[in-house]
Amino acid sequence: MTELATMDFHPQPQAGEARPWAFPAPERGTLDNGLTVLRCHRPGQQVVAVEVLLDAPLDAEPAGLDGVATIMTRAFSEGTDKHSAEEFAAELERCGATLDSHADHPGVRLSLEVPVSRLGKALGLLADALRAPAFADSEVERLVANRLDEIPHETANPGRRAAKELSKQLFPADSRMSRPRQGTEETVASIDSAAVRAFYERHVRPATATAVIVGDLTGVDLDALLGDTLGAWTGSPAKPRTMPAVSADDTGRVVIVDRPGAVQTQLLIGRVGVDRHDRVWPAQVLGTYCLGGTLTSRLDRVLREEKGYTYGVRAFGQVLRSAPDGSGVSMLAISGSVDTPNTGPALDDLWTVLRTLAAEGLTDAERDVAVQNLVGVAPLKFETAAAVASTLADQVEQHLPDDYQSTLYRQLAATGTVEATAAVVSAFPVDRLVTVLVGDAAQIEEPVRALGIGEVTVVPAE
Amino acid sequence: MPMGHTATAEAGSEGLTVKEHRLDNGLRVVLSEDHLTPVAAVCLWYDVGSRHEVEGRTGLAHLFEHLMFQGSKQVSGNGHFELVQGAGGSLNGTTSWERTNYFETMPAHQLELALWLEADRMGSLLFALDQKNLDNQRDVVKNERRQRYDNVPYGTAFERIFRLAYPEGHPYRHTPIGSMEDLEAASLEDARQFFRTYYAPNNAVLSVVGDIDPEQTLAWIEKYFGSIPSYDGKPQPRDGGLPDVIGEQHREVVEEKVPARALMAAYRLPEDGTRACDAADLALAILGGGESSRLYNRLVRRDRTAVTAGFGLLRLAGAPSLAWMDVKTSGDVEVPVIEAAVDEELARFAAEGPTAEEMERAHAQLEREWLDRLGTVAGRADELCRFAVLFGDPKLALTAVDRVLDVTAEEVQEVAKARLRPDNRAVLVYEPVDDADDDATDDEAESAATDADATTDENEESAK
Repeated sequence: MTELATMDFHPQPQAGEARPWAFPAPERGTLDNGLTVLRCHRPGQQVVAVEVLLDAPLDAEPAGLDGVATIMTRAFSEGTDKHSAEEFAAELERCGATLDSHADHPGVRLSLEVPVSRLGKALGLLADALRAPAFADSEVERLVANRLDEIPHETANPGRRAAKELSKQLFPADSRMSRPRQGTEETVASIDSAAVRAFYERHVRPATATAVIVGDLTGVDLDALLGDTLGAWTGSPAKPRTMPAVSADDTGRVVIVDRPGAVQTQLLIGRVGVDRHDRVWPAQVLGTYCLGGTLTSRLDRVLREEKGYTYGVRAFGQVLRSAPDGSGVSMLAISGSVDTPNTGPALDDLWTVLRTLAAEGLTDAERDVAVQNLVGVAPLKFETAAAVASTLADQVEQHLPDDYQSTLYRQLAATGTVEATAAVVSAFPVDRLVTVLVGDAAQIEEPVRALGIGEVTVVPAE
Repeated sequence: MPMGHTATAEAGSEGLTVKEHRLDNGLRVVLSEDHLTPVAAVCLWYDVGSRHEVEGRTGLAHLFEHLMFQGSKQVSGNGHFELVQGAGGSLNGTTSWERTNYFETMPAHQLELALWLEADRMGSLLFALDQKNLDNQRDVVKNERRQRYDNVPYGTAFERIFRLAYPEGHPYRHTPIGSMEDLEAASLEDARQFFRTYYAPNNAVLSVVGDIDPEQTLAWIEKYFGSIPSYDGKPQPRDGGLPDVIGEQHREVVEEKVPARALMAAYRLPEDGTRACDAADLALAILGGGESSRLYNRLVRRDRTAVTAGFGLLRLAGAPSLAWMDVKTSGDVEVPVIEAAVDEELARFAAEGPTAEEMERAHAQLEREWLDRLGTVAGRADELCRFAVLFGDPKLALTAVDRVLDVTAEEVQEVAKARLRPDNRAVLVYEPVDDADDDATDDEAESAATDADATTDENEESAK
């Protein structure tokens, strides 16, 4: 067969000698106003990343005002005592900067990225936003209207709709975690500038905030820059905060969110688990990767590469909120989408994968490849300042030590096949999973019922 | 040691150097050292994309890209993924109109493995390609299509606007994902012929960037790729040239179950690689990039008629580029209200040009985008391949930002006046209906303009 053109074949090459790399250790300090600062010099990273964490968690939102933390967060970039909303946006862009922010269960997070040559200017704008936000009536009104307009877009998105339903199913109605992070149509409509300012005055102060600054800081007098900017922010001293206890109902069941005519079914299968303070975390990371971390993991090996039911299904663990005593919670989940006619068969295979894993465990080869990947990708993963800053900020937000990531890599490397198996099997027990399916109920309800993976209910999408 | 000729040039920003080389079989090689982090990026661009597809076989280039991950003579089934990930690397491939790219980022000491893997599939894919792989990946790609386009609100907007903006028979008229019918029709012989025609060393550029020893790297490249035969039968792609302006306004109204009315539009722009295209980039940044742009200020802040409003630029080298506008309306606002405001802003901009402050902001934004793109070894490797394949000179990547910064306000006004006009656009309007008809298409508020590539795999899971 001439089509098999010839070439010289060589055996697979062996790896060279690994060059040392370590997750960067930040330098930690406190400014006079109580602001905690973590700084980290990363040579060559000309775009500096700044993360600011505010101790303003979603459960601090007043009753009936879900979404006020989100509106406040957005309003930070809508004008200060020096600039109108339009001017503020223009000044940031003039620095070549981007400022993203969001409010989540652990608190509010602002992420600034800017070329190092304009770091001082951008830090000044960020400090103005935190120190003296305008919260003008008309801007808050606009943000509220804008947020209300966004909600139907989220409802129409299968992934977003599934996430909203799973939170509602897992947590009791009086838990903030059961409700949409950015509020509902009803609660958002009640938010005004007075509510935003009240939330700000109660929860935003430098003494409970942390700034993480990462990038090529060669020749940058960061202390001077900080002194003129975030250092000039004032506020009352810190008050201790406790995290409310979280309970969850992970009784195995199926909820179909009906989306007539959908050509695919969005799957989100989840429950709650421990936070990263728990000793099982590294083994759980390893086992979860083997189950559904990538295209060659167990789930995709069957659902994608053998059956072609999906573009990809992933398993993951994501911390929702953490506390210093380890009483926090994470979401453990499997997500992806499968074509409508194959929804039943795909779920059947998925459960078979989980049962087989529980019965037979992981292999040493799987464990080895997973460790090599999870640990080996570190230098790639943390090439940019933004990636390093984000992980350092996660650690602070989750009350973990600054060397947590390096420790995690050591622990992953030391985790055996048996531990990883035990961790993933207890993270994904087949009878304790809440299955949310966003799809065409008329077509998928019967096949899903026949699987016997729990009681099936159908709810409307809107 | 390797044959062929080598040229070294010191070019562009931050003292980055580029070494170029060509193997005897025609494979172009671009090497760039950067020892800050112990990683190395390998990027391989094949000069083939959806514009090379023939009628009835849309989506073949992208489907074929999936098949490149299904094994070759010395690499079993999913071996490519397994070996790269097992070495602590990350990898993927994407397909667009003008090229297909494959890339691995590796810990530096695993570079040789990535080169061996790329060479094995370039030289011996057909040993492994079979009907079972094709049928499986056809199903995967159909599910990719459903997930990214057919099952999300506004998901097929991009396809529709390309059909409006490019004439019947034009090579860029269909998007890389292709149609379900054509995917169904693709045969094993189609895939084999596609490989023989386009996956030859003389139709590719290989770049390696990062913590590398250039001599050693070149020796490995020669060893693994050097014996792969070249192929001279590649047909010329159909000409993508078109008049500067469309000449009339094309329009489609889609009635579908979407969450809000939307006004989208595409304007025909100068080809990538020209100074006028850079000028258009600046014009679009001023008009519709970020939250201080003219459209955002007008529609979202002042009139409060829109939830989102912005412009994106899709750079194309072998056909006119496209400006892509996306506005989602607020509440019950009607499309003509938005359209009148957009036309007014575009006309004002064409008449008055940008202010000095707007130019400063747009320059700063585009400069920052380039810093981001060149800030990782993988981003740099991709840009070097891009300039080598599309414009014949990888070094142009290192000076691209200087060319953008050199563009004047007059040039920005000129391109806006010539191109951002009602008779040079394709308009797509979405009107929501209550019931889903046979075809439920839809998307989120984000613009699709920068996300038009079809990719093989999503991000890998991290050590969290």
